[in-house]
Amino acid sequence: MVSKRTRLLHRGLTYAGLIFAGVAACTPFVWMVTSSFMTRGETLRRVLWPAALQWSNYYSAWSEEDFGLYFENSLMIAGLTVAGTLLFSLTAAYPLARMRFPGREPLFLLILATLMVPETVTMVPNFLTVSWLHRATPLAWINNWPALTIPFMTNAFSIFLLRQFMRGIPGELWDSARIDGAGHLRFLFQIVLPLCRAPLLTVGMFTFIGSWNALGWPLLVTNTPTWRPIAVGLQKFVSEAGPEVHLQMAGAMIATIPVLVLYGMVQKEFTEGISMSGLKG
Amino acid sequence: MMRTPQRISWLQVTALAVFCACGSSTDAPESTAVVDVELVDPQGQQVVFWYQHTRQREDGLQELIGRFNETNQYGIEVRGEYAGDYGDIYNKMMVGLQGGEVPDLVVAYQNQARAYAEADGAVDLLAYMNSKKWGLSDDERDDYVRAFMQQDQVNGQQFGLPPNRSIEILYYNQDWLQELGAQAPPTTWAEFATLCRLARDQPFSGNDDPARSLGFIYEEDASRLASMVFSRGGDFMTSDGAAYTLDTEETRASLSLMKQLITDGSAEMMGEPYGDQTEFAAGRCLFILRSSSGLPYVQSAIDAGPGFAWSVAAPPHTTPHPVVNFYGASVSLCATTPQRQLAAWLFLKWFTEPPQQAHWVQASNYFPARKSTALLLVDYIEDNPRYGIVYDLLEYGKPEPSVTGYEPVRRLVSQAVIKVMQGGDMDASLAQLQLEANATLEQY
Repeated sequence: MVSKRTRLLHRGLTYAGLIFAGVAACTPFVWMVTSSFMTRGETLRRVLWPAALQWSNYYSAWSEEDFGLYFENSLMIAGLTVAGTLLFSLTAAYPLARMRFPGREPLFLLILATLMVPETVTMVPNFLTVSWLHRATPLAWINNWPALTIPFMTNAFSIFLLRQFMRGIPGELWDSARIDGAGHLRFLFQIVLPLCRAPLLTVGMFTFIGSWNALGWPLLVTNTPTWRPIAVGLQKFVSEAGPEVHLQMAGAMIATIPVLVLYGMVQKEFTEGISMSGLKG
Repeated sequence: MMRTPQRISWLQVTALAVFCACGSSTDAPESTAVVDVELVDPQGQQVVFWYQHTRQREDGLQELIGRFNETNQYGIEVRGEYAGDYGDIYNKMMVGLQGGEVPDLVVAYQNQARAYAEADGAVDLLAYMNSKKWGLSDDERDDYVRAFMQQDQVNGQQFGLPPNRSIEILYYNQDWLQELGAQAPPTTWAEFATLCRLARDQPFSGNDDPARSLGFIYEEDASRLASMVFSRGGDFMTSDGAAYTLDTEETRASLSLMKQLITDGSAEMMGEPYGDQTEFAAGRCLFILRSSSGLPYVQSAIDAGPGFAWSVAAPPHTTPHPVVNFYGASVSLCATTPQRQLAAWLFLKWFTEPPQQAHWVQASNYFPARKSTALLLVDYIEDNPRYGIVYDLLEYGKPEPSVTGYEPVRRLVSQAVIKVMQGGDMDASLAQLQLEANATLEQY
């Protein structure tokens, strides 16, 4: 039998570990917030707290590097990518989870295998495809929203997550729907979709964050600020000679706000979606 | 201008190489090999220029581009576009060459320009330089700093024109040196080591964190090591470019000194990008070895920090005269159409003319590529004496290798430096570095 003292010790150690992990996770964010209010000298001296809050950093960050335009672009790009991902992942996951057809499992394995291919490897063929489409179709892809959104409108992770959830939907619901005369499409959009709220929000959240933080691909397929996202704006605060940390952190804070707001709105469903799909550790 | 760490991973480089090797050449831009440049009409062409500059430098460059667009007699319109850092631009170019999406002008280091040329993406400038109608006069050609021009020459072809260069110099805290009893910056590596140890033991009076006091912060970047090797009379490559010379006495002496200083606590390895500048500006580090193009940045950082007198000098050396590492990206002309290429050349030529060079120097703090620009910089040098000090060192400049595969070798050098500084066997590390570096010569 475990003594009370041992239990207390275990609990104390657990809390100490959790507190340490929490502090470690929060420190970069706190550093970003405090640095965004510092003078340049304070960032150089690495003080912990600014002597006076430099709200002007936010104004400078916003006004000096076309941040308004980049912010708007990022919202558009992330919004379109999320919408496309939800639509295509949902319609791809459904047959893999609910329909029987020859080659279903190998197809699913093939989709899963793409998770193992690093993004840097797909960048070149993606670019070649996009530049071919740019020349071969009437739609301008390069320097425009299609190149920034369409290649990312579906991905194996989203399909996997939704498929896992859909497999858990009771078969009786499908039977009832069939008795009422529903086909697969109607069953998907009228029965499955409302049930998939949590995993859909999770997929949406992951896609939004991925799209919001993208830098390499947007730099590759855009040449002008017209469609460039906010990460490019942040990069421009680093010159060859050195960074302007206070402005970069103010810019990073601005860039973080939409993600924080979104997470605040879907936090419950997000956690639920992760736990239901069996992804939690 | 300093070479920022490449953000292209090995995986990316391999993927790029594979796709570039396998890709179709049907989208390759039209060749101009048979076109007589004298007969080409550049009227009304649009030119795209990819560069890496941000902030004040970008503003300065855009101002020049605007001026060219307003004043050129051919109605050429140049559009300058920020395309990311050097690594991003290289990435964009190598992928763009396959997809047929390339600019007309691109900022490129010499080894990058060679890679573009090997993919038929960069044009030999000699046809334009030698043109009676559009080219350079003998006086103009002589006006370019020969060593700068030579960096872009490969087998008698010219794959870039230098608009600017920088050199690697020693920044020092003048007030702290005086507190340590030194009247002048070190001229030998032995003096340098002595001062670093003194700095460790006697923090600067303006340092608000006296527990942290260093003589030097060493970055594993290949250019830092090259500076130290050059200053000892060594080189990174044989003069004919046939083999790397990285396992030499000069490299050993450079790394041994750094290792000793790090071991005795008077120096440390750089832990974050630009960390040496930050520590120097905060009065916690006596010396840093950096690009001259960072002079205004260091000044503004010191002004924002504790503030102290500082200056610059040639790196310590064992050679009779200083030998300084000079580097900088040039501008390459991409293979597009004869008309666009000529229009791009005309802008490039205009950009490197002394009045524009003088403007560019003041916006960027780079060194001009044309000697006569100095006449237009008298006031600027008077107002910026540190720039003048460095300007006088230009005659002692020596470049790093410009072979195509130098970029991966730079990464190999950094890895070897880290290995040695972390206690690895120097003989084995340098022998392996030498072997791997030479192997790249066969790959590229």
